[in-house]
Amino acid sequence: MKRQVPLVLCFLFGVVMCFTQFSPHQYSQAVYNEVINWALIMAPFALIFGTITLIQTHVTRIRRRIEHWQYSFVVFAGLLTMAFIGILFGPQDPAFEWLFNNVQVPLDATMFSLLAFLIASAAFRAFRARTFEATLLLIAAMIVLIGNVPVGDLIWNTVLSWLPWDNGASETRQWILGNPNLSARRGIILGVSLGVISQAIRLILGIERSYIGGGD
Amino acid sequence: MLSKLINLDRRIIFILVALAVIIPTLLPLNLPINVSNPTQRIYDYIDTLPAGSTIMIAFDYGPSSMPELNPMAKAVLRHCFDKKVRVIGMTLYPFAPTLADTLIKEVAEEKGAVNGEDYVFLGFRPGYEQVMLRMGTSIASAFEKDYTNTPLTEIPMMKDITNYDQIDLILDLASGSTTQIWITYVNVKYSQQIAAGVTGVIVSNMYPYLQTKQLIGLMPGYLGASEYEKLIGVPEKGTEGINNASPVHVLIFVLVVIGNTVFFIQRRREE
Amino acid sequence: MELIDFIGIWIAAFLTLCIYSFLYRDNPFYRFAEHLFVGMSVGYTITISIYQGFIPFAWEPFWEAIKPFWPGVPREAGWSGLWKLIPIGIGLLFFGGVSPRYTWLIRYPSAILIGLGAGLAIPNVLRADIFEQTRGTVEPFASINAGTLSIWGILGAILMVVGVVCTLIYFYFSVEHRGPVNWLSKVGIAFLMIGFGSAFGNTVMGRVALLIQRVDFLINDWIGSFGALF
Repeated sequence: MKRQVPLVLCFLFGVVMCFTQFSPHQYSQAVYNEVINWALIMAPFALIFGTITLIQTHVTRIRRRIEHWQYSFVVFAGLLTMAFIGILFGPQDPAFEWLFNNVQVPLDATMFSLLAFLIASAAFRAFRARTFEATLLLIAAMIVLIGNVPVGDLIWNTVLSWLPWDNGASETRQWILGNPNLSARRGIILGVSLGVISQAIRLILGIERSYIGGGD
Repeated sequence: MLSKLINLDRRIIFILVALAVIIPTLLPLNLPINVSNPTQRIYDYIDTLPAGSTIMIAFDYGPSSMPELNPMAKAVLRHCFDKKVRVIGMTLYPFAPTLADTLIKEVAEEKGAVNGEDYVFLGFRPGYEQVMLRMGTSIASAFEKDYTNTPLTEIPMMKDITNYDQIDLILDLASGSTTQIWITYVNVKYSQQIAAGVTGVIVSNMYPYLQTKQLIGLMPGYLGASEYEKLIGVPEKGTEGINNASPVHVLIFVLVVIGNTVFFIQRRREE
Repeated sequence: MELIDFIGIWIAAFLTLCIYSFLYRDNPFYRFAEHLFVGMSVGYTITISIYQGFIPFAWEPFWEAIKPFWPGVPREAGWSGLWKLIPIGIGLLFFGGVSPRYTWLIRYPSAILIGLGAGLAIPNVLRADIFEQTRGTVEPFASINAGTLSIWGILGAILMVVGVVCTLIYFYFSVEHRGPVNWLSKVGIAFLMIGFGSAFGNTVMGRVALLIQRVDFLINDWIGSFGALF
């Protein structure tokens, strides 16, 4: 019951969704639309459950006094403020929007902007042309880096003005992205897509069942 | 001396990076910007759409990608409203509704566009490909009401829009994998034209789709925003940003060159 | 400037500086901001999930389904909505995960969503990612055959095929990488390295963009607001 029914459900929904897409018959399309509706109905529950899991994690942190557990109260303060105003007055309430714009936006944007500093430091310390492959990586990175900003073309057009080729930095960047990068990415896409399809078949046939987890 | 240089306290590098951003913010640069072909293709496509056409903009990004994608969204919205191209905004990313709603309203107010006639913002729905596929049959089955809770049946511009058949272009402004999902589930299945404006982190991943024309065009990060701003003739945050980014890019370039020079000198000495 | 905007700018600036203080070293201000960020994000997600997901997709169909049973509602509202109670019930099983004893209940909605996703993926990924990408790799050769491609175009087409094939060979582990296979996979690595290098260059642009926006905020909005103090 706990293991077999999910496997049967997975098989059933997988097969139905796969085959109804090939059949334009009205009954087939009705089933296809209805099953997608089911998924849409279930999706918000998954999203809310995800947030509950996070709350549980912080409750556990406080209960077990895990290092920096006091900060979990800050998590709850933020969560309750946002959720209280949001649920009570709706997401278009000026107070909710104000909190989003003046607290969440700066926190989110600043958190990720830290990486600009860390990338610069890491590039200085670790970005070395030790091998042929590393040299290729470094050269491509530097060309794209400098070709991405207008100063790249300015330097090219000033320093290499004797070349019969203007805006070389951005042109070379574009060539790298549109040729060798494209080939490598396409290889990855083809490889990953084949992997996705084989994994999907394994899931439908019940060969891959890790999502069921352990136990009975 | 060399080992001191290579073991430089990372906080000194942080200060250098900060200065490379602060100085151009105080003394802005104004360098010429060259428009790349992928951005030009989006502009040309929208520019040739007749008045009354409809494009759907998917705001699939959160606050952490606002600096790159908001200027793009603004520039495209301005272009659309100028051309009288109707805009349907929506998002599949839970952190986007507030920022997308604010942005659309701001540009609409500037251009005198009317909610419900020139544009509509549908809001967010969870379930990526399921929402996309459902909209292929009927947009109203995924978004029965817009973000302001107005039923789609009461919105004038939605009266003649049922599904992708009436939409001329989907522009996905993305910070994650949504562009690939739009391509996989909407482009081939519904023969829907798709364009993308993406963050720098995922630009490289998009090129295979550009060559197959599964993407009709691509705006790459800040650069794409500045290029589109140049095309519509309104230089703003994107242009300002890519100009101000120049010194930091040069700084990182120089840091890598110094790091490698020291590395090679040390290696030669050891040999 | 209105007071509420002024307060907003100062709070945003304080939180921005709290996070940047991490660049010196880990400290309580940073940890406060970091945890506040997590809490606010969850609060925002809960609100949006309820208003933009739960209400339109679950609550409204639920209400439609039970409406005919509600006192005072005419029975002609119909019974067809009852069908929707099944996915709502299955969706509710997600909350079994709250208690370790009932975690297994999650398997039911998960199995449905996973099976559905797998079934959707097979034909669509095959068409959009495998057939279309293969077409893109081979198609330029039709142009070569028709004589419509320049010499650079021809070289580009050859380079693309070499790159795609060699990259795939690098990822093909069913044969031992020796001899010609080894050489071809090395060419594949070269292409991959260029690809990853270009991704690095673009990533720097993305992260620097965030930094520029924050510095722009601190200098123009926050320091700019000092004038309102006096």
